[in-house]
Amino acid sequence: MKNYFKENKIDYIDYKDIDTLKKFLTPHARIQSKKRSSAPSKSQRSLAIAIKRARFMGLLPYVSR
Amino acid sequence: MQIYELGYLILPSIPENELPSVVSKIKTLIADAGGKEIDGEEPFKYELAYTMSKTIGASRYVIDDAYIGWTKFELEPVQAVAIKSEIDKIDEVLRSLLVKVPRETGFTFAKAKALIAEKSATLEALEREKEKAEVIKEPVVG
Repeated sequence: MKNYFKENKIDYIDYKDIDTLKKFLTPHARIQSKKRSSAPSKSQRSLAIAIKRARFMGLLPYVSR
Repeated sequence: MQIYELGYLILPSIPENELPSVVSKIKTLIADAGGKEIDGEEPFKYELAYTMSKTIGASRYVIDDAYIGWTKFELEPVQAVAIKSEIDKIDEVLRSLLVKVPRETGFTFAKAKALIAEKSATLEALEREKEKAEVIKEPVVG
């Protein structure tokens, strides 16, 4: 299991960093499951929060296609 | 003291030369509440991922792009809620997001843009090299 955030030394998952967040979205712009993202629970939780913040600010879509 | 980050969207109908006055409005609100600015980025035009709307008075504005900016500051937690509601009352502000952050977050839009530019430059260089190689490989007819 690889941890993207540990490998890239990301301590804080920023909602503005959409290039990173986009990696964890499905083609329908839903948040990938923990099984697919292979992120540890703690990262997965902060990732979900960051994606939801980015959606509110119009940086990421709520739905796509 | 707690460190906060305020992200904000400003209406696109505002001309670019009037942006600093809107930003200073936000910053003076923070400074008046005793906030100390640590970091931030000036707003720039950004195409939104979906259409938003804002109602000012009787008119409803439909918005597809906005100026996005952010500022990071140190503030007493008791002031935070008050600041957020004050900022949302500014007519030019479409949306705002106030979040707790660690002191060092590292990410800036400028850095991200530079990274993308660098990537596309290296890709272009690679393609150019490929083209050159193909030109050399072509047999000379004669």
